[in-house]
Amino acid sequence: MKIFKLPMLLMHSIYIAENDLRQSFKSVRHVVWSLLFPIFMMFTFSFREGTSGQEISFLIPGIVGMTAMFGSINETMSIVWDKSLGVFDRILAAPVSSTSIIVGKTIAGAVMGVISALVLLIIGSSLFGVSFVNISLALVIIVLASFSFTGIGTIISGLASEPREAMMLSNLLRFPMMFLGGVFFDINLMPSPLPVIARALPLTYATEGLKAAAVSGDIGVVLFDAIVLVAYTVGTMAVGSKMLMRLMTR
Amino acid sequence: MISESVIEVSNLTKYYGKLLAVDQISFEVKGKELFGLLGPNGAGKTTTIRMICGMLRPTGGTVVVAGFDVSKRPKEVKRRIGLVPDISNLFGELSAKVNLEFMGKLYGLDKRTRRERINQVLELFQLKERQNDLVKYYSKGMHRRLTIAAALIHQPEILVMDEPTSGLDAQTARLVREIIIDLNKEGRTVLLTTHQIEEADRLCQRVGIIDRGHLIALNTPEELKNNTEGMRALEIKVLNGVDQQRWLPIISEAEGIDKVFLAEGKIRVLSKDLAHAIPTVVNLIDKQGGKIESISVAQPTLEDAFINLTGKTIREEPMSKEDYLKRRLSRSGMR
Repeated sequence: MKIFKLPMLLMHSIYIAENDLRQSFKSVRHVVWSLLFPIFMMFTFSFREGTSGQEISFLIPGIVGMTAMFGSINETMSIVWDKSLGVFDRILAAPVSSTSIIVGKTIAGAVMGVISALVLLIIGSSLFGVSFVNISLALVIIVLASFSFTGIGTIISGLASEPREAMMLSNLLRFPMMFLGGVFFDINLMPSPLPVIARALPLTYATEGLKAAAVSGDIGVVLFDAIVLVAYTVGTMAVGSKMLMRLMTR
Repeated sequence: MISESVIEVSNLTKYYGKLLAVDQISFEVKGKELFGLLGPNGAGKTTTIRMICGMLRPTGGTVVVAGFDVSKRPKEVKRRIGLVPDISNLFGELSAKVNLEFMGKLYGLDKRTRRERINQVLELFQLKERQNDLVKYYSKGMHRRLTIAAALIHQPEILVMDEPTSGLDAQTARLVREIIIDLNKEGRTVLLTTHQIEEADRLCQRVGIIDRGHLIALNTPEELKNNTEGMRALEIKVLNGVDQQRWLPIISEAEGIDKVFLAEGKIRVLSKDLAHAIPTVVNLIDKQGGKIESISVAQPTLEDAFINLTGKTIREEPMSKEDYLKRRLSRSGMR
């Protein structure tokens, strides 16, 4: 790649990300609905009878991680909607490289994940008094987790040929992750094969890292989780972008 | 003022898996020309256009636009083309202005140029007053106008339009046709596709007829009409014949008749031997108890030419499963 081309390539990505996010935030309903689910979960599990403060400070970080997952995957899946509405053609017909398109969609997905997670983090800490021992470690985990979920979103977008299929695929991935990823249940207390499965899911590392950042501030744990999330991002993005690339350059 | 060719398509071929959508098509579009690709649904028009615009990779053959090979320099080609797709594909959740703003950014226009051009096209297409409304609230005609406006934001020398008037009401379709003629008069090369014979006839300086992935004829509409290899047309109206349709199978059975179809409420008979065809048809209708209200020898139309070339009227075949599949595959998002 020639150096002088880099700025335009990046600018295109930023324009695409900006355009994507602008649409998502334009429809307030869309944003509210996608946040309503984790907020609802947060309230249900926190107000259960006999829930202790300690349990809540375990629960909230998990829900923040889960929200990043929902936000990122949803935003990235907009590719499938774009394709079915034909608006993707607009970008394909313009002098924009495929790399810019993928990078742009990735930025949008990650930004959406981070923003959603932050909203939940603010609600959780202000309403339930959950304080993070090390908030900057939590932010690192939120950013990395959002990127890894965006990678999953690109794979879904590459697999699905229409929106309904994308919804189905994403639910197929999201719901098991939600229950096995240590958000509501401690993975160490799960029966035999489940902890192994949980260890294969990126959400597990996101919740683990966030819980560590909230409760113990154990840098070793956070570092390990961060590394796993980076590996996940690299892996899923490699597969996902390859799939999208094939789709764009038929 | 037709100059050298700006689009050169040679032996262009596209397979979707085993399905052949475009088969060795070659043609040239000259500078400042208004060129039309005419053909029924599923003929391969959209696939051809998408390959020209660098959105679909050809299986074989080459496309050169303004001197640039599409497969080697797609960005150079894309910069010079403004594409108006067959469906209005704007961002519904965004305003017209923001939509145009985004397009301007993708084509690398700076802020000042963007503002100027956006104002210019919004005024040209009379959308200025509604520029801040979300596009999803626009009418069909406004959608279409904005889609064309968006294709002009980078002032391309070539305008490629896929079925520009399909699905529009008569009034909007007329407006769009006027816009196309104006844009061409301003010096833009226009390549459009259509399945409406009338449109190709009225609008285009040259027409390529495309059927089942093949380009079967290419000429001016006049030449296409004159060159029907001795085929002549007869127009008949049967008295009290509310149902003129019922005569079609009867007449088509007769000897020396090549094709019978309905056109503007009249029975149109194509034959290479009118001298024999006229008495045969008249006798036949008489024998079946019909009274002829009028009969005349007609000027050949582009539709006659089309039928002569393809052996069918443009709207006679319902979409086959294969056509449907091709349609799906030629639109983006379908693998």
